[in-house]
Amino acid sequence: MTAICIRRLLCGLLLFVAGYSAQAGESLTPLPGAVPAPDFELMDTDGKLHRLSDYRGKTVILNFWTTWCPPCREEIPSMNRAWQQLRDEGVVMLAVNMGEDADTIFIFTADYPAEFPLLLDRDGAVIAQWPVKGLPTTYIIAPDGSIAYRAIGGRNWDDSDIMGTLRALQKQREGAG
Amino acid sequence: MQIHRPVAILSSPRPQPGMGRFHPQRAAGRLGAWLQLIPVAQVLVNLVTIRSLCLLLLLSVAGTPLAAEIIRGADAETGLRKWHLVESRLEVELVQRLPDQTRGFFMARGFSPAIADEIAVSCIFQTIVRNTGNQADAVAVSIDLAQWRVIRADGEQGIRLKEPWIASWPENAVSEASRLAFQWALFPTRQEFLADDYNWGMTAFGLPPGTVFDLDLVWQEDGKVRSTRIAAIECAPDVERLQ
Repeated sequence: MTAICIRRLLCGLLLFVAGYSAQAGESLTPLPGAVPAPDFELMDTDGKLHRLSDYRGKTVILNFWTTWCPPCREEIPSMNRAWQQLRDEGVVMLAVNMGEDADTIFIFTADYPAEFPLLLDRDGAVIAQWPVKGLPTTYIIAPDGSIAYRAIGGRNWDDSDIMGTLRALQKQREGAG
Repeated sequence: MQIHRPVAILSSPRPQPGMGRFHPQRAAGRLGAWLQLIPVAQVLVNLVTIRSLCLLLLLSVAGTPLAAEIIRGADAETGLRKWHLVESRLEVELVQRLPDQTRGFFMARGFSPAIADEIAVSCIFQTIVRNTGNQADAVAVSIDLAQWRVIRADGEQGIRLKEPWIASWPENAVSEASRLAFQWALFPTRQEFLADDYNWGMTAFGLPPGTVFDLDLVWQEDGKVRSTRIAAIECAPDVERLQ
């Protein structure tokens, strides 16, 4: 009888710990209502113009950041690793720097390499159109141009849960197409 | 808890000096009585196992904050002091910023020495706020810094908020780029955090360097207003006090 109780308790404990570990994974907050992403045009540090609406049909990871923001710096290596895996799968990554110049960012990327486009929002006009409260904030834009997910604060972008979410979003589009 | 297993107990009925003559039958009877205790001991062992499992369960639950927990400490590298609060889904960390750190930060972003100094000596803390809840419960944590109160023996005051501060600068005294840097470097006055969301930024408590104060934090969680107090927070001292 006691042995059965112990076995049940052990099973319960294992299920609890498994459930708790699953909750501890990295997550993105889904945004219901298919709110359209505000369009913008910005130059990147290489002088190339990016218009958000040009990426319709692709999943876009849109990150707002600065070089002096510690959690922004912390998440850039994982963004780069995620980008290396996703760039050939139709996913776009754009990192909009708020208020700094290309020289500052160039120096910064010597320590924090980033292969994805780094866009310059020198006067903060673009970030003002988005409901950003703090840095970093990242929005995931669905292929139909709506904002699908949001992450306030840094994330580990090559975490398997996040990568799965991004790939699923892109696959929905490919399935629909 | 120490368990007295029957094997260990069995050694005690042996004749000891001064105990009198050894009687084999009586000894056998005693042995039988001890052997009858074996199932009882097994139950005891099982109970201890259950207790250990319960403890393990409690330890794993300890990762989910249920009651207020305030930890005071210091950064191992810088020696700057910090206060860390976890209550329900709210996690707040306040880390001292030396006035010189803040002076340097804002002067590097185009502020005049006078305005950079005004900011630097306003008791600035690096502040991190997080919603420690999980996606499944989808409970938002909201803060409004205007509701936080700075308590001292001689009275209380609010936090110095960035909006009126920016508005107080004459238009030509601070460039647009500097205003932007200030706007984004200071913690948002109001913000809602869903599970896993966190933000960081500077908060200004508007007190001279080295001042000690209590902070009443107010937040909304699951539609309810909650509050707690962190006692004896200390503004970082300025350079001359460090020498």
